Amino acid sequence: MSLDVVSKPKPNRLQSTRAAGAMVKEYWDRLFTAPDRGAQVVWYNGSALNPIFQAAGIEWCHGEAFSARLAAQHLEGPAQLAGEEYGYVGELCSYARTHLGCAVLTQRGKESEQSGVVGMVDQEVLASKLPSPDFFVNAYAGCSTGQQWDEISFRVFGKDVPLFKVSLPMLWAAKPDAGYLRGREWDNASRYVARQLHDLIGFLEQMTGRPFDWDKLRESMGYIKRAAELRREGMELCKGAPTPATYWDWIASIAPINFLPGDQALVDYFQGVRDEIAQRLQDGTAALPGERYRLYFDGIMNWNRLGWLANKFAEHDAAVVVGRYTHNAFWQEPHLIDPDDPILGMAQHYLLCPTNHGSHVLEELMLRDCADYGVDGAVFHATRTCRAFANPQHVLATAAQRELGIQTMFFEGDVADDSYYKDEVLESRLEAMLEAIDVRRMAA
Amino acid sequence: MSADHVMGVDLGSTTAKTVILDADGRPVATSVLRMGAVSRVGVKASMDRALADAGLDADAIGRMVSTGYGRRLIADADRSFTEITCHARGAATLWPGVRLVIDIGGQDSKAIAVDENGFVDRFAMNDRCASGTGRFFEVLARALEVDLEAIGGLALEGSDAVAVSSMCATFAETEVISLLAQGAAIADIAASVHRAVAARTVGLVAQVGPREPVVMTGGVAKNAALVRFLSEALRLEVAVPDEPQISGAYGAALLALDDLRGVRVPPTVGEALPMAP
Repeated sequence: MSLDVVSKPKPNRLQSTRAAGAMVKEYWDRLFTAPDRGAQVVWYNGSALNPIFQAAGIEWCHGEAFSARLAAQHLEGPAQLAGEEYGYVGELCSYARTHLGCAVLTQRGKESEQSGVVGMVDQEVLASKLPSPDFFVNAYAGCSTGQQWDEISFRVFGKDVPLFKVSLPMLWAAKPDAGYLRGREWDNASRYVARQLHDLIGFLEQMTGRPFDWDKLRESMGYIKRAAELRREGMELCKGAPTPATYWDWIASIAPINFLPGDQALVDYFQGVRDEIAQRLQDGTAALPGERYRLYFDGIMNWNRLGWLANKFAEHDAAVVVGRYTHNAFWQEPHLIDPDDPILGMAQHYLLCPTNHGSHVLEELMLRDCADYGVDGAVFHATRTCRAFANPQHVLATAAQRELGIQTMFFEGDVADDSYYKDEVLESRLEAMLEAIDVRRMAA
Repeated sequence: MSADHVMGVDLGSTTAKTVILDADGRPVATSVLRMGAVSRVGVKASMDRALADAGLDADAIGRMVSTGYGRRLIADADRSFTEITCHARGAATLWPGVRLVIDIGGQDSKAIAVDENGFVDRFAMNDRCASGTGRFFEVLARALEVDLEAIGGLALEGSDAVAVSSMCATFAETEVISLLAQGAAIADIAASVHRAVAARTVGLVAQVGPREPVVMTGGVAKNAALVRFLSEALRLEVAVPDEPQISGAYGAALLALDDLRGVRVPPTVGEALPMAP
């Protein structure tokens, strides 16, 4: 009697998403040299305001995206230490903590002026590379930390840098007529945010001293709409089993859709992703050979563990096929975008952040996605420092069990702080859930 | 000798448990051995002791299933299952009709909701730390300078005159030391800690939904004070099997027996889990 040693299955990741790495690197490298080119830089968080900045001729730095990038490259430590040294405790959102640490490092400027425990120069280089902001814009939905984040950065920079805030009301959908994309609340909130975007454009004209380029905005939103349509088409193609692409492939495609410029290259990228998926369907190529389980993933990404998690689920023949973070965010309703008059559709997408809904809308979306993708179980990544995402998770898990009879499990982790992740916890709970799915299948 | 017996082994964080069943599913030996963390030596000793008690050689074991934290360390196991599956299976057989299993072991605590067929319906486990586990009570016993086995009896003598709020073992120890320094009675402190653990466990149960009958398994189920306080907090009767520590190993042995028999019956009330690869 002995256990057989078998090679562990690996996910068959899309080849087309590799292009994202080069595109994103090029974007950041360009941003790092913005001051050399005399370009103005805006720091912002939350909503994908980048098409507005692009049209205004400003270079944009998305704080969360940079925190995620550092975590994915395991280079977040120096920034987090700098943040903690400055006074931000470990319980604070690790996106914010990392980015505020970057702000501290940027503000300090030259390495020679640095002090304290933050002295790991070889790692610190990237964390301290962000160009100083010429102004801040904050447009964060459904997260109180996010809404204050840029105000804190504003203070780190000595209150000398202008700050513009866009207020994004929570979509509670509590009234009888309210729901996803419908009702008076939705209409009123959409118009309220659209008005603020016009005000933001006025602010940017003030900051740049130039009239806003509306044609440029229409052009970039046309590209973004097309890219978003292709992304949704690719997702639709993954509803059958075995899936040709997984959640992890969509995670790899978040950066392009979230903050890269709206241009032909963005469309080409998602055309490539969509076409590869279609080709896989035609060829009968699975993203996970031997797919036995189809899972829903709720929770913001654990960027420290992206490859690790993809491999772990694959080792258990578990294809993660759909998730709240990937499928209910990032220009996910392209039909709302009118490229000729894009502001309202943009405002609506900023409201459609997956942390900005009342729980019954989240339930509606999750149940729809679980049914559409033929999900066997739901995995909840209980992000320790992202309460906005974690708050409704028990409600969602209960709904999944009650309405669909599927198994659920939770594991602890975080967006950019690896210390909250415990591998044995995930391993045991995932195995237990898959065993329970097996039991149900046997019984059926 | 024919290999018509089966063995279930639960290699936990602080104890190794072994159950041997004969071909008819009757327990012929059980062994519970305290050891170092997931100790290979400890688990071998537990298995050897069970074999010796049963008067069997290793060749008599036709199937072995492992469970617990160290389940993957047991090279001779034919298959391993999580504690969730094994505790549910064991408890549902030990206590037919059970709907909620609360298992508190050395390092973790679990609430397992079992459906009317004895299948795992939902489960929840403690997060991150040793709050409310056997380890937690060890820390408490050390701080109060009483034997671990005596801590429950002490708690039953205490009142609710003091309150311990922290569920982190380290911080709770700090609180306990602070209360001792203030002159609080150790029985009251012990009672307070037990009530806090019971409240914490109720939170765990809430995640899966309270239901009855309730059975408590794991080493902490031997602590009469916690069982009583938990029963009061849940407002439900909490039953404890005669040997609460062996529930996981027993469940593992039952799964091994399913496999040996080749009988396709539900895992907790009859059907086998898929034993093939």
